[in-house]
Amino acid sequence: MITLSQRLKRKNDSDSGIVNRAPIRDRLLVKEAQEMSQLLPASCSVQYHNENDLSKFTLVVQPTEGYWEGGSFKFDINVTEEYNMVPPLVKCATKLWHPNISENGEVCLSLLRRHSVDGMGWSPIRRLNDVVWGLHALFTDLLNFEDPLNVEAADQFRYSKEDFKSKVTEYVLSYARE
Amino acid sequence: MADENDNERIDENQRPDKMFTLKKWNAVAMWSWDVECDTCAICRVQVMDACLRCQAESKKDSYGKQDCVVVWGECNHSFHYCCMSLWVKQNNRCPLCQQEWSIQRMGK
Ligand SMILES: [Zn+2]
Ligand SMILES: [Zn+2]
Ligand SMILES: [Zn+2]
Repeated sequence: MITLSQRLKRKNDSDSGIVNRAPIRDRLLVKEAQEMSQLLPASCSVQYHNENDLSKFTLVVQPTEGYWEGGSFKFDINVTEEYNMVPPLVKCATKLWHPNISENGEVCLSLLRRHSVDGMGWSPIRRLNDVVWGLHALFTDLLNFEDPLNVEAADQFRYSKEDFKSKVTEYVLSYARE
Repeated sequence: MADENDNERIDENQRPDKMFTLKKWNAVAMWSWDVECDTCAICRVQVMDACLRCQAESKKDSYGKQDCVVVWGECNHSFHYCCMSLWVKQNNRCPLCQQEWSIQRMGK
């Protein structure tokens, strides 16, 4: 396993003499990635795509309770160069039946809204750790049927929780096995 | 958003301090932790030092300290002017308290 300090050291070596286009993001990421790994929820894990790049990683959430229990859900997270003025881009790479995540992988989490009129969207005081906990909570605390992205899923839940539950399970068995 | 009662469903494996954080987040939507009042909550550098951007961009000997000033809002929150001027282009609210941002004073 490669530690953050090793990763950082290699990064500095490879960057020497080259003008870094995203110095703020990269400096913030060194601290935030470390914090994120220290505070990671027990049901989550993080996979970096490239050991020299802290800005692109996959978060794997494996809920231990609730409708999606037993599934393994991957979120591709891209921390763009404008970070932390804008939130990371998040896409769910595992197909699932969820009121707040579309079948195409769009994620509806207030924290990830770039422009916010209600004060609930992104703020530069937020950190990667908040994003991870927010995504993790979409399967428990922040699960929200009132303001759905997948309207069909939310409607189904309203009419028949059993039907909803079995469709969730069907998707988990088809797409979200490890 | 989930209401307070839903916190009972929180995974036992979660750390107690995070339960508190999450609960508070649901309750008030905005929070911060270990942000001291003399630290810029945007770049997380002391406001009396040059901001992260100025530190990264300036020559090694000057650190741009003389140009990187502190700005206080009407809400009494302070940030580097550099950091805040970038943020207000996105959203003209204080990142800490979400009040409409207006400058009370600037300086060091
Ligand atoms: Zn700052
Ligand atoms: Zn500055
Ligand atoms: Zn404020």
